[in-house]
Amino acid sequence: MCRIGAVKSKKRMHPSIALKLMQSQQEGHDDSGFAFVMQDLGGIFENYKELPLLSMAATVEGTRLAEDILREIGFSRVMQWSPEINNQKGLKIEAMPNYIFEVLQYPRSFKHATKQEKEELLIDTAIKIRKTLEEAKAGYIYSFWPDVLTLKEIGSPKDIGIYFNLWEGNADLTAGIITAQCRQNTNYDIVRYAAHPFFLEGYTGLANGENTFFEKNRDYQQKLYKGYIGFESDSQCLLYTLHYIRKILKWPLKYFKHTITPLSYDEITTRKDREILLRIKASLANLEINGPNTFLAVTPEKELLCVCDSKKLRPVVIGKNKDTVIMTSEVAGLNDIMPERDADIYPNERETIIVKDDLTIERWLQ
Amino acid sequence: MASINVNELQKSDLPWIIEYDESKCIQCGKCTAACSFNAISPCVEFRKSNSINSPDRKFEKVLVIKQNISLDNYCRGCGMCSNVCPNGAIKAVRNKDDKYSVAYRAQKADSFKKGGRSNLNTEGRTLDKIKIGRISQMTDPSLDAQRHTFELRTPFGRVLKADKLNFDTCGEVLYETTSLPPVSWIYPIIFGDMSIGAVSWRMWEAVAIATAYLNEVMGIPVRMCTGEGGIPTKLLKSRYAKYMILQIASGHFGWNRILKAMPDMTEDPAGIIIKIGQGAKPGDGGLLQASKVARYVQEIRGVPKADLLSPPTHQGLYSIEESVQKMFLSMNAAFNFKVPVAVKVAASVTSVSVYNNLLRDPYNIVGGFFLDGLAAGTGAAHEISLNHTGHPITSKLRDCYLTAVKQGRQGEIPLFAGGGLGQTGSFAADAFKLICLGANGVFTGSMLLETAGCVGSDTGKCNACNTGLCPAGIAAQNDNLVKRLDVDKVAQNIVNYILATDIELKKLMAPIGCSSLPIGRSDALITVDKHISNRLDIQYAC
Amino acid sequence: MTVCKIKTLKNNTRMSTQELLQTISKKIEEGVTDFDIEACGQHDIGGSSWTKSGGSLTFRITNPGQRVGAMAMDGTKIIVEGSAPADVGWLNSGAEITVKGDGGDTSAHCAAGGKIYIGGRTGTRSGALMKHDPKFEPPEFWVLKNTGSFSFEFMSGGIAVICGYDCNELQSVLGNRSCVGMVGGTVYVRGRIYGLASCVETVKLNKFDKDFLKSGMKHFLQNIGRTELEQELLDFSDWCKIVPLPKESKINKITVKEFKAAEWFKDGLFGDLVEDNGEVFSLAQPGKARLRTPVWNKTKCVNCKLCIKNCPQKAIKENYLLIDEKCIGCGICSAVCPVNAWTIS
Repeated sequence: MCRIGAVKSKKRMHPSIALKLMQSQQEGHDDSGFAFVMQDLGGIFENYKELPLLSMAATVEGTRLAEDILREIGFSRVMQWSPEINNQKGLKIEAMPNYIFEVLQYPRSFKHATKQEKEELLIDTAIKIRKTLEEAKAGYIYSFWPDVLTLKEIGSPKDIGIYFNLWEGNADLTAGIITAQCRQNTNYDIVRYAAHPFFLEGYTGLANGENTFFEKNRDYQQKLYKGYIGFESDSQCLLYTLHYIRKILKWPLKYFKHTITPLSYDEITTRKDREILLRIKASLANLEINGPNTFLAVTPEKELLCVCDSKKLRPVVIGKNKDTVIMTSEVAGLNDIMPERDADIYPNERETIIVKDDLTIERWLQ
Repeated sequence: MASINVNELQKSDLPWIIEYDESKCIQCGKCTAACSFNAISPCVEFRKSNSINSPDRKFEKVLVIKQNISLDNYCRGCGMCSNVCPNGAIKAVRNKDDKYSVAYRAQKADSFKKGGRSNLNTEGRTLDKIKIGRISQMTDPSLDAQRHTFELRTPFGRVLKADKLNFDTCGEVLYETTSLPPVSWIYPIIFGDMSIGAVSWRMWEAVAIATAYLNEVMGIPVRMCTGEGGIPTKLLKSRYAKYMILQIASGHFGWNRILKAMPDMTEDPAGIIIKIGQGAKPGDGGLLQASKVARYVQEIRGVPKADLLSPPTHQGLYSIEESVQKMFLSMNAAFNFKVPVAVKVAASVTSVSVYNNLLRDPYNIVGGFFLDGLAAGTGAAHEISLNHTGHPITSKLRDCYLTAVKQGRQGEIPLFAGGGLGQTGSFAADAFKLICLGANGVFTGSMLLETAGCVGSDTGKCNACNTGLCPAGIAAQNDNLVKRLDVDKVAQNIVNYILATDIELKKLMAPIGCSSLPIGRSDALITVDKHISNRLDIQYAC
Repeated sequence: MTVCKIKTLKNNTRMSTQELLQTISKKIEEGVTDFDIEACGQHDIGGSSWTKSGGSLTFRITNPGQRVGAMAMDGTKIIVEGSAPADVGWLNSGAEITVKGDGGDTSAHCAAGGKIYIGGRTGTRSGALMKHDPKFEPPEFWVLKNTGSFSFEFMSGGIAVICGYDCNELQSVLGNRSCVGMVGGTVYVRGRIYGLASCVETVKLNKFDKDFLKSGMKHFLQNIGRTELEQELLDFSDWCKIVPLPKESKINKITVKEFKAAEWFKDGLFGDLVEDNGEVFSLAQPGKARLRTPVWNKTKCVNCKLCIKNCPQKAIKENYLLIDEKCIGCGICSAVCPVNAWTIS
C-alpha cells in the first residue's frame, strides 16, 4: 500500500504542496521513498513548453553516456537546471550523484517533422538511454517529454524534501499539475523505477494497490508496444493500459474503465452498447485488473482521472475549491492543505472521475 | 465330464475371479439374471454324499453358481452380482495373476479392444503435483466464495486483437464498422463429445436435459458437444439447439439430418467442433462396434449394423492450410459465419505447430482449440492405442498458451483442455489449474458418466463400454440394459455435480482474490516437483 | 476541569501516531479527561482508553487519521470536527463517536456497542460485520447521507440508520450490493435502494421502528449540528427497513424432474426412434426387463419337474408354461434340467 496524490490548479504550484499533502497520510506508507511528476510547468521552464525536457538521475558515467546518445542523435541543450542540494547530516536518503533536468532542442533534421515523428523520436531516445544506463548500471531516466519534470528518490519523504530544498516554495519550480507518491516499498525490490508516478508519452499514472493480474497484464503488454517496459511495479500496467486505449487504439477515455474492470456478462447484455463492451471484454481480457486498486492519472489533455477497482477496496477522495482540485488517498491530506472547500467527492467502484483542464469535474458511470 | 488340457483357457487366467459362498446362497438366481456379460451361470454339481467308510459311493446333485470360462463371456468385475445378492454370497475379486490379455491375442489373432481410460497411468498425474499457492494474504484481500459475486464465463469464438476490431468513434462512443467473428460467453466447462451410439440414448438425453436445466433454471451457461453420432432432429429444431455444439468428425455421421433440419431451426447452435482426433486414442479413428449399432443408431447415422470405423483423418484434408481454409470455411459457412467453429485434436508433440498455424489464420474463422490429453476416456479403442499412444494434457496446453504469449496473442483462439480431468477425485481443482495454466475452459465426458453410475475404474474394472453390455445402461445398446438408467436421476446428478463444481471453483478463485476466471494466472500455482516447475514455468516450492 | 490541548504538527515536524497515543495515555493517567487534539492523520485516536475512576473521557479532534475511535469504550465521547478517513469506530464497544463531516470506507466496521454518528456520507463496506452482544445494548450507526457500496456486508447485529439526506442524484443510498451475507440486525433506510443482496428483504416500518427513529433522530441531529432537518427526516413515508430473510424463505428452484415434465419433449428426445416409456428397470427384474429368456423344448422334456421345483420365482406352471411376468431369466431351469429341455437365449 502507498499513499498517492494528484493536484491540479489554476495557479502554478511548488512541489512542497505534495509533501504537505502526504504528511498526514504517513501511517499509510512506509517512509521509503518520494516521487513526483510535474506537468504544465511554470517558473524557469515556462518558456520551453514545446521542447523536450529530460529528467534523469545518474552517475557521472551515466550522465556522459546519456549526453553522448543525445548528441549523436542531434539533440542540443537549451537549458539545464539542477536542484540545490542540502546534504545535511543524518538525512535518510539514497541520493544519486547527479540529477539532470535539461531542456533540449530537437535535431535539425526534425525542423519540419510532424508531432508524431517527434514523439517517436523522444520515445526511441528515452528507451535507448534507459537501456544504456541499465547496462552500465549508471542511472535512471524518468521522463523525456515536453513540459514534464520527474523526480524520484529512495528515502524518507521528509528528508528527501530537505535534501532537494522542496519544503520551501520556490517560484522557479512550479507546475499546474503535480502528482506524487509516498511509497511503501513495492512488493518487490526497492528500485527507483518502481516508484510512482510513472510517465509514458504524455500520460502519467500512479496507483495505490495490488494488481493481482499483474503477470497476466505484463505478459500481454510486453508485446503490445515498445514503450511498455520495466514492469518494476505492478501498477505500471495500469498506465500502459491507459496509454494503449487512448494513444494506440485512440478510443474514447471511458473505455479505459471498461477495459480494466469489465462489467459482468449479465450486466453488459442489458445495455445498448453490449456489442462493443463484449468485444472489449474478450479482446482486452488480458488487461483486466482484478485486485484492489485506486488509479490516478494525468492525460496529455491536462485532465486528471481517477478510477477504482470493481470492489472499491482502496481509499480515495477528491476535494475542490475554486481554483484547485486534489485527489488523494485519505481525507486527512485534504484537511491539511485545503481546509476550506466544496463537498468532497468519493468515487465509487463504477465511476470514472475526470477533472477537465478548466477544473470542471465529470463523473462518468461505467 | 470334459477333459481339461493345460493349454486351454482356465479360470485362473481370467482377470476377475468369482468368489462364491455356497453356504450363504439361497439360489434366488438374481446374480445370473443381473449379469450383463453372462459371466456366471447356475450349474449342477455332483458331490459325494456319504462317508469314505461307506461301502459304496453315493452322490448328490447341488445347485451352485459358477463362473464361465470364456474369452467372450467373462467377468469384468462390474459387481452387479454382489449388488443384487440378498446375502452377500457372491463377489468378483481381482486376479493379480491374470493371463487374459495373452490368451485373447493367442487365440483370436486380433488386437484387444476395450472402453474407458488407459490402465497404465503409473507415473502419477502432473495436476496432482500442483497446488494453488499464491493466496491473498495482506497484499490483497481474499474474497468470500459463498457471498461475493464471481463471473465464471469464458469467451468461445475467435477473439480479435483490439487494434483489429476496427472500431470507429462517433463523439465519445465506439461503434463497429466491420462484421466480426462470433464470440459467445459460456461456462468454462463443456460437456464433452460423446456420440449417440457410444453412449445410450438415455445417457445422451440425460446430458441434454442437464444442459438445458443448468442454462434455463440455474443460469449456468454450460454447452454440450453432441459427439459425432448425429443429433435428434427435434432437438435441432427446438430452443435447446442453442446449447449444443455440433461435432463433425471424419465419419461425418449424422450431418445429413442436420442439414435437412437447418431450414426449420429457430436457434443457431452454440458452435461447431471439427474433431480431428481424441486423446484416448490419438491418430486412430472412431470405433463403434457392430454390437452397439442399434436400430436407432443405424437410422440416425444412416448406416447398416456393422463395425463403424471413422477414418483416422478427414479424407478431404491433407494439410493444415487446407484444414483451415477448407474445413473451417465450410463449417463457418454452414451457419453463415454466425457460429463459432472450433477444432478438437489429440494433444501431441505437434500441437504447438498446429496452434501456431491456426493463430495465423488470416480469415479469423478458427474459434477455439480443444486439446484432449492421453488420460481421456473412450467408448471403444484398441487397448494398444489407449495404453501407449498420446500426450499428457498439461504440458501441451501450457506450450500452446505460452507460444501465444510469446506472440502477444494469448486469448485470440480460446484454448480448452480435457482428458482425464477429475480422475483423482477433484474435477474442479483440475479445471482450475488448467485455467491458470492458460486454458479458457475445460471439457469432460468421463466425469458425466461417473455421476451417472459408471462402475468402471482406471485399473481394469469393467471397461466394457465397447461391448454394448454396459451394466449401468450408460454405454449399453441393449434395450433392457439401457433402461436400467434413470434419466431423471442421472440428469439431476449431473446438475448437482456442476453446482458443486461451481462452488468449488469459487472456493479456489476466492483465496487468490479473483472474481473473474484466472485464465493464464500461472503465478497462482506452485509445484513441489522441480521438473514440472521447469517445464510449465511455474514456481517451485518445497 | 482542565482541557489538554495537543497540536501534532509544528514546522513540518509531525508527531507520529505512537508518540501521540502515548502522550494521551500518560495524560489520562495524570487525570486528564478532556482532550482537544489538532491531529495530522494520526490513527486510533480516542480508542481503547478509560479512566481508573470509571469517569468519562472526551476527545475533540480535528483531522484524525484512520480508525478514529477504534476499539473505543464505554464512557468515551469523541467529536470529530470535519471529515475522518477509513474505519471510524472500528470495533466500537461503547463510545459515542460523532464525525461532523464524512466518514471514510468501512466506518463502524465490527462495531458491537456504542453509537456512531456521521454528519455526511460514509464509504464502502460501512457497517460491515456489525454485531450485537445480547448482554449489552446493540450498537447504533447513524449516517446523515449515504454509504458506499458493499455496505453492511456480513452484518449480524445492531442497528444502522441511513438517512439519505441530499441524495437525490444517487441511484442507491446504500451503494451497490449492500447487505451481502447479512444474517442479523436492522438497517433503516430513507431513499432509493439498488442492487440489494438477495439474502435480505425490505419491509415497512412498524410502530416500534418509528418510535426508535423518533427518539434517536433528535440526539443524532443535535450531535452533528443539523437539528433543522428533524421534521424532514421523520417523514416516514420515505423509510423502510432491511432485515435478513428467514432461512426457510429462500427460493426453491424446480427440480430436474419437474423441469423435464414441464419443458422437455413430451415423448422424450428419442421418442420417434426407440420404444421407451421411461420405465427404469432394476437388476434382475422379471418380465420384459430380463436380459435372457428360457425356452422349453417339449420333445426333450422327461417330465421330471426339477425345473418347476427349483425355479426361484415360481415362474413355471405344472404344464411347463413359463409365466413371463415372474421369470427373471436366471437360467436355473436350464441348469437343473437333466435333458437340456430348457435353453436360455
